[in-house]
Amino acid sequence: MENNKSYFGELGHGIKTLATGMKVTLGEYFKDYWTNKSTEQYPENRKTTLHVSKRHRGRLVFKRNEDGAYKCTACTLCEKACPNGTIKITAHMAEDPETGKKKKVLDDYQYDLGDCMFCQLCTNACNFDAIEFTNDFENATFDRGALVLHLDKEVYQGGSLPNIQDGGAEWQVGKFNTKKK
Amino acid sequence: MKLEFLSFDFEKFAKEMQNLKDQKGFDFLVTIVGEDFGEEGLGCVYILENTNTHERTSVKTIAKVVDGESVIPTVTNLWKGADLLEREVFDFLGVKFLGHPDMRRLFLRNDFQGYPLRKDFKATNEYTLEDDQEPDYGLEYSLDKDGKLHVKENRLFTNDDYVVNIGPQHPSTHGVLRLQTVLEGETVKRVYPHLGYIHRGIEKMWESMTYPQTLALTDRLNYLCAMMQRHALVGVIEEAMEVELTDRIHYIRTIMDELQRLDSHLLFTSCCAQDLGALTAFLYGMRDREHVLNVMEETTGGRLIQNYYRIGGLQDDIDPNFVKNVKDLIKYLRPMIQEYMDVFGNNIITHNRLENVGPMSLEDCINYGVTGPAGRASGWKNDVRKNHPYDMYGKVDFEQCLETSNDSMGRYMVHINEMYQSLNIIEQLIDNIPEGDFYVKQKPIIKVPEGQWYFSVEGAAGEFGVYLDSKGDKSPYRMKMRPMGLSLVGALDPMLRGQKIADLVTTGAAIDIVIPDIDR
Amino acid sequence: MEHIFDFSQVTTWFHDLLTLTLGLGDFWAILIECVLVGAAVLGAYSVIAMILIFMERKVCAYFQCRIGPVRVGPWGLLQVVADVLKMLIKEIFFVDKADKLLYIVAPFLVIFGSVGAFCFLPWNRGAHILDFNVGVFLLTAISSIGVVGIFLAGWGSNNKYSVVSAMRSAVQMISYEMSLCLCLITAVILTGTMQVSGIVEAQSGPWGWLIVQGHVPALIAFVVFLIAGNAEANRGPFDMAEAESELTAGHHTEYSGMGFGFFYLAEFLNLFIIAGIAATVFLGGWAPIQIGVEAFDEVMQYIPGIVWFMGKAFLLVWLLMWIKWTFPRLRIDQILKLEWKYLMPMALINLVLMTVVVALGLYIK
Repeated sequence: MENNKSYFGELGHGIKTLATGMKVTLGEYFKDYWTNKSTEQYPENRKTTLHVSKRHRGRLVFKRNEDGAYKCTACTLCEKACPNGTIKITAHMAEDPETGKKKKVLDDYQYDLGDCMFCQLCTNACNFDAIEFTNDFENATFDRGALVLHLDKEVYQGGSLPNIQDGGAEWQVGKFNTKKK
Repeated sequence: MKLEFLSFDFEKFAKEMQNLKDQKGFDFLVTIVGEDFGEEGLGCVYILENTNTHERTSVKTIAKVVDGESVIPTVTNLWKGADLLEREVFDFLGVKFLGHPDMRRLFLRNDFQGYPLRKDFKATNEYTLEDDQEPDYGLEYSLDKDGKLHVKENRLFTNDDYVVNIGPQHPSTHGVLRLQTVLEGETVKRVYPHLGYIHRGIEKMWESMTYPQTLALTDRLNYLCAMMQRHALVGVIEEAMEVELTDRIHYIRTIMDELQRLDSHLLFTSCCAQDLGALTAFLYGMRDREHVLNVMEETTGGRLIQNYYRIGGLQDDIDPNFVKNVKDLIKYLRPMIQEYMDVFGNNIITHNRLENVGPMSLEDCINYGVTGPAGRASGWKNDVRKNHPYDMYGKVDFEQCLETSNDSMGRYMVHINEMYQSLNIIEQLIDNIPEGDFYVKQKPIIKVPEGQWYFSVEGAAGEFGVYLDSKGDKSPYRMKMRPMGLSLVGALDPMLRGQKIADLVTTGAAIDIVIPDIDR
Repeated sequence: MEHIFDFSQVTTWFHDLLTLTLGLGDFWAILIECVLVGAAVLGAYSVIAMILIFMERKVCAYFQCRIGPVRVGPWGLLQVVADVLKMLIKEIFFVDKADKLLYIVAPFLVIFGSVGAFCFLPWNRGAHILDFNVGVFLLTAISSIGVVGIFLAGWGSNNKYSVVSAMRSAVQMISYEMSLCLCLITAVILTGTMQVSGIVEAQSGPWGWLIVQGHVPALIAFVVFLIAGNAEANRGPFDMAEAESELTAGHHTEYSGMGFGFFYLAEFLNLFIIAGIAATVFLGGWAPIQIGVEAFDEVMQYIPGIVWFMGKAFLLVWLLMWIKWTFPRLRIDQILKLEWKYLMPMALINLVLMTVVVALGLYIK
């Protein structure tokens, strides 16, 4: 406000700007009055209108082919790449009965979800395309111990929400999936 | 920028620095890097800029050892922004700056033993859990006639002062910032910032990490500038390694930087409203920020921790719907920015609350190193995108948003106008993203050749730069950030003297400080 | 006006029941009546507080594109009940170095001022709890006690934020009391009485609401009253005392449990009281809308007075919430500037204007 404005000019200007503000809020008050505004109703919508980006990093899993075999060769590149020491691999050397060559065999692939900071260095380091992040985000537990996972031993079926693996419901810029169903 | 140091020794240092400022016009102290140079001893690297020609230079000096203490003459008399920077060097390396009026620790506790960034520092777990005894005086070191170190105590406040701690737990310090405020009624007399409540020692951690690992930590600084911060780090490493990137990478990085700027500025305008008590305007901004994050998340997989750039390119190609989504977003956002102005920015109460609040002149802004929108509100052309263009910024058409009001209203308006500019930049690029690789394959073990580099980007709240000193290993020898917020916090005190308590909150909101970026 | 239900029939009948049928003496009859009325007041006070808290949450949510509480009970209706329950069972602690006496007394003073003012509201024809001939005057006097409570709370809890907040609220409330009273006096000039029931009666004719009767000066007085009242109730954009982004919670930073609950209740009830007084003085209280057409007027008169009163009061409450959830907070010096530079002179000139209007008989009869 310029200081040279008159007493009443300032008053009038003030009232005008305040009225503009009130017009905006009133507009928002009645806009979408019955369609629940911008609040998304998790957890009611988790199997219906929930959208989670496909690339969201929820947790690490082993990639497996149809018969459930994994590709990990226990080369420990991911273990070395991890800044937090989240991954611990134990392996032993065994002779392949067919070729007779010595080969590393994975005993345990331990992944501590509680320590992970989702930097993707492990997936970047992997030369065998053996691990990936999924968007399975419902990982809360009551016990830190339950966050220590053994990826080679678990049979991962898409976690608690297999329906969002490809992103879930459709979404649109400027709109919220506010409905429960 | 590869650094070719000017080296000054102890005796000549003060005079030469004065010379650089007065004769050569290097009036902006970008940052001070304290470093343990090994056998050479402790020392500092000063990066300076001439704000007229945008020429940059760097100065290296080695501390002189007096009575077993390393000392360097202060430059606070030349650049006031050096105050906190020198305290940081003192805190981490134990270099004492002669003539600095307030040599206290900045980030670490007062009972911390040793100086962690010295190479011979051994971390111990002997942390006392006793009360952190806090001195109410600062130490001023000087050399007396015989060349002995002399100490003087400067009181921070008197017993009659009414001192209120704003923070570390306070709704409008945007994190754990503590401002020890000396009040006279409702009027602020002095502000002493206390930092380090979420200091994580990222720079120390970097020294033992491989280069790809260092990247993981940048998203956790100013969590609203994840893209830009990683851009600076990736940029300095790529420059040092002389990696050639494809055009596609340049385009996508520029678009992502601007999306991130939108995200950050939306949060800024919202939080500014919230700190002034307009909760509704806050929620409008947060609502729209959600859409920006949605668009980014489809490509990067993250909302705060974006994790998208890596050495040699990008983590992943853009999402198939990215171009369409971004266009929708631009269409959606333009009228919304006007809505913030209607409900909050043009409001007479907002004008009264922000105008002439936290004033700072152009000279002071340069002197204190107040970069970013806060400096541009005083008419300082400090946009790194214009002055030292990187990626596509040299080729796109956009305006540097300047205001001349020197106050918080100007800072707010710079943010609003920059949102429009960001939309313009994205609009120019989004249709023309060239084909190409999104990642240039690097060796499995990344080593950076010997040398020193500094690379900076325009973060949402100021210049964010990274200094890299490499000895040719797979880990950096010393890596140091120029945080956006530290110089802003340093400028709080001169901005706020004589203002009201309510103005402290307003100014803090208007200069856009984010604590994890300050504390690192 | 003959169709409007007169609540005094009920009170007279009850009094007769006690004195004539049961044969109690005057002392006992009045004692029983006072206890019953007191219980009714406190009951109404807490019920209205709960309604207001719920309303605030929903209204604010809808302004902010949210849906507000929906989890507890259908449409979130039981949320406030849950909150009250939580507040009741929370530990009440004392700050170590607080001035214990002041610290304990303060919330009671606040709630006392608020309940006192609450008793003046005319609910229906014949349903006034306190109805003196200096009613409006006494009302402003009693409601001012709340300031003392806030001031003592700020001082007594030995917290620096609280002290600053206490100073602010004292300054603010004392200032705004001025325009508040001036506006009421403006109304009194027109109605010719300070008695609350009289003020309402004066507005019960066709086109009788003061805001219509007194046209321009009454309208100005009404707007100034709402602004000053909003400031008096310490609500945004004048919530300097609380100012959560500056002083955390201001004067009630150090209170927990019901100590905090009292401040919270009083804040909401003060909002209702301001809306109620504005509805009474300017919008005719329980008087129904009358346009001079007999059939229409008669239908309106069948709607009970309490519905009219509550309807008007809640409409004003909604209006004040709309204001609160739109604007940023002012700074203390700006609040005082607004009062002393704009509202006060305006109220004074308006007072003169109203006097002229009344003296020359320019009001709508």
